[in-house]
Amino acid sequence: MGNITLGRYIPMDSPIHRCDPRGKIMAMLFVLIAVFFPVGWIGYGILFCLISFTIVLAKLKFNFIWRSMKPMLFMLCFLLVINILVVKTGTVLFTIGDFEIYSDAVLNTLYIAVRLLLMIMVTTCLTATTKPLEMTLGIEDLLKPFRKIGVPAHEIAMLISIALRFIPDLIEETQRIMKAQESRGVDMKEGKLKEKIMAILSLIVPLFVSAFQRAEDLANAMEARGYVPGEKRTRYKVLHMQMRDYILLGASFLTLVGMIVLSRVI
Amino acid sequence: MSISIQHLSYIYSPGTPYEHKALDDVNLQIEEGKMTAIIGHTGSGKSTLVQHLNGLLLPSEGKIHIFDREIIAKQKPKNLKSLRGEVGLVFQFPEYQLFEETVLKDVSFGPKNFNVDEETAISRAKEALALVGIGEEYYERSPLELSGGQKRRVAIAGILAMNPRVLVLDEPTAGLDPSGTRKMMELFKTLNKEHAKTILLVTHDMEQVYGYCDDVIVIKQGKISTQAKVSEFFDEGNEIEEMNILPPALLRMKKMLREVGFKLDEEAKDIQSLAKEIAKQVKKHG
Amino acid sequence: MQKNIVEVKDLCFEYEEGAKTIEHVSFSIPEGSYTTIIGHNGSGKSTIAKLLAGLLEKKSGTIIIDGIELNEENLVKIRNKMGIVFQNPDNQFIGSTVRDDIAFGLENHCVPQEEMDAIIETNAERVGMSKYLEHEPTKLSGGQKQRVAIAGVLAMKPKLLIFDEATSMLDPRGKSEIKKVIKELHKESNLSIISITHDLDEVAASDLVVVMHKGHVDTVDTPHGVFDDEAKLKEMHLDTPFSMKLRRALEKEGVHVGNHITMEGMVKELCQSLSNT
Repeated sequence: MGNITLGRYIPMDSPIHRCDPRGKIMAMLFVLIAVFFPVGWIGYGILFCLISFTIVLAKLKFNFIWRSMKPMLFMLCFLLVINILVVKTGTVLFTIGDFEIYSDAVLNTLYIAVRLLLMIMVTTCLTATTKPLEMTLGIEDLLKPFRKIGVPAHEIAMLISIALRFIPDLIEETQRIMKAQESRGVDMKEGKLKEKIMAILSLIVPLFVSAFQRAEDLANAMEARGYVPGEKRTRYKVLHMQMRDYILLGASFLTLVGMIVLSRVI
Repeated sequence: MSISIQHLSYIYSPGTPYEHKALDDVNLQIEEGKMTAIIGHTGSGKSTLVQHLNGLLLPSEGKIHIFDREIIAKQKPKNLKSLRGEVGLVFQFPEYQLFEETVLKDVSFGPKNFNVDEETAISRAKEALALVGIGEEYYERSPLELSGGQKRRVAIAGILAMNPRVLVLDEPTAGLDPSGTRKMMELFKTLNKEHAKTILLVTHDMEQVYGYCDDVIVIKQGKISTQAKVSEFFDEGNEIEEMNILPPALLRMKKMLREVGFKLDEEAKDIQSLAKEIAKQVKKHG
Repeated sequence: MQKNIVEVKDLCFEYEEGAKTIEHVSFSIPEGSYTTIIGHNGSGKSTIAKLLAGLLEKKSGTIIIDGIELNEENLVKIRNKMGIVFQNPDNQFIGSTVRDDIAFGLENHCVPQEEMDAIIETNAERVGMSKYLEHEPTKLSGGQKQRVAIAGVLAMKPKLLIFDEATSMLDPRGKSEIKKVIKELHKESNLSIISITHDLDEVAASDLVVVMHKGHVDTVDTPHGVFDDEAKLKEMHLDTPFSMKLRRALEKEGVHVGNHITMEGMVKELCQSLSNT
């Protein structure tokens, strides 16, 4: 489990780490939208430079981004094959036997690859620099205006933060149950289909049982400490927007506007 | 020697910032037919050690000899599965491994994994359930509906049904009430004495060590700090004091009585013989 | 007249229709006392704790906490008066850090944000967790998590604290940590404490013992009184302190000693019989 990098928080002290999560979430959304505009290689080049600058500011390593990208490579290869089979425009690059490969097929795939890279870079800038708890606070605040139309902003935030809190515990539990079943002769890796089904059952059923137990305990603990869903409560962590947050927001908004303009010009 | 461990070290997540040496040059001989206690503080490496005994963890360095098998660091182990049949490992809170629809099915799950035919598996399951004191009326019930103590017994039966030569138990009485604990310990004693199972018991409870075990192994920060006969271990006393653990009540009582002037025989190892000793002296004076 | 913090009258409860878990239970607990509830697993101890905390709904009978009857209307008022610490240290840690977890209850009770830091710090101090305020739960031991749980309920300034087997999943070090914290809290303030436990030393040191058996309250008495009837305790699958067992063994040898619930008391008496000559 230790090698998953996508979406992981990297504790560091950087200006980006210190930014308000609301500002960061909005900034990420602006840039993400910008990536969707057809801005050509110049546009993508500019975006790449801007995002790279942010990554440097956040003291993140490019190696880390690359490792998040890796799981996507297979998908991109698959996409390339599809494109080669389907796209028949542009110039013929080369032929294999009777089969012609067109330039647009390769170009299209490259476009998508670059967009994907940019998107991963932007989201990593957010997730790697924002503690899960701050993220939920940010989401809660940003969802507040939608409360009027019945979006339970606080409940959603509470749900996310509890899920985040218990993920390490559940991973540990899973490993423990796997080991316990392996001690009973279960082979988690190999075996015939029927054995595999039994192996999975022997893991899933106990996991559910213990998750339900946990949920019940947790509900009791929360209720005993005065938590009533939907009731008014105060909040310990209060977010404050500062100068740097407005700068970040402004810069990302300008980027979005710039990209929209650029896409019209091209 | 049925189990011998030489220069065993184990490192968690090597090469990452979380690298942690849980076992450090462990050397051990465990005798067949004995009941051996493994004690040590939380995080001392007890659980890591016992997971090596059935090949759940493989040594980073050193080797382990179990019956006629050898597990050597950096060599691909052979026949891990059959080892798991010979060394039955019962995890802490084993009731969390129950998953089948009925008690009987769950207990026969283990033997079936070792390619035992259905009929033999069922008959072994019935034997194991009888051993742990779960009657026929429970065979067709869902294991999830039983009480906490019963669930644990069924889970232990699930391991016993594999017919292991060695039974390794990681804090098997945690969370049970005093009478449940006593019954559980009596069960292990029976398994050891009447069914010739070698038993390794990870525990925090000195009453269990003193009252039931032959040998004791103390682990401290991943190293074996003591291996001794239980009788000698408690006589020495230093190790226990150093570890800041509460000695068995009988020994605490003896110590207090000695301090106020009683002369007590070393041999008084149960409550009645201690009472006899006290009575002798009180009557002398009275 | 002494005030009662808890008064339970003719309380009945069942999880399923017809399967009574708690039957006609009545007892009262004086304010400021340290009460232990004992009984074998399945005797209904934890159910009583959950009923007192209003987490389960009684079938009939009354529960009065600090003079207020527990019912749907008064639930919030009563929750302000008491806190409960559960058995499993992991499943009651709600915040992502110690600080956030203590804050959780304060948020629910609408404590103004500006006051929270001071309250959090004082209560962390009371359980010896001041140095760990920014720690995440995965980096804490079981005993430390339970101390945080105690700080979390203390922060709400309760009059009554209930411990539902709060030490049973801890190692010896964690157990003694928590027992010490509870004892100190009881000494330094007028907190009433109810502890559901199997720990005989803790029972022996308490003011009042409630013995539960098969959903009934069997006895409410001092530790001396409860442990005196060894045969009955055995019948209820309950253990007795070592000193009581030794007393029985000595009687068989023809030596009669008083009813001592601690080894120290017994040693003192035996010592005197040595110097009687």
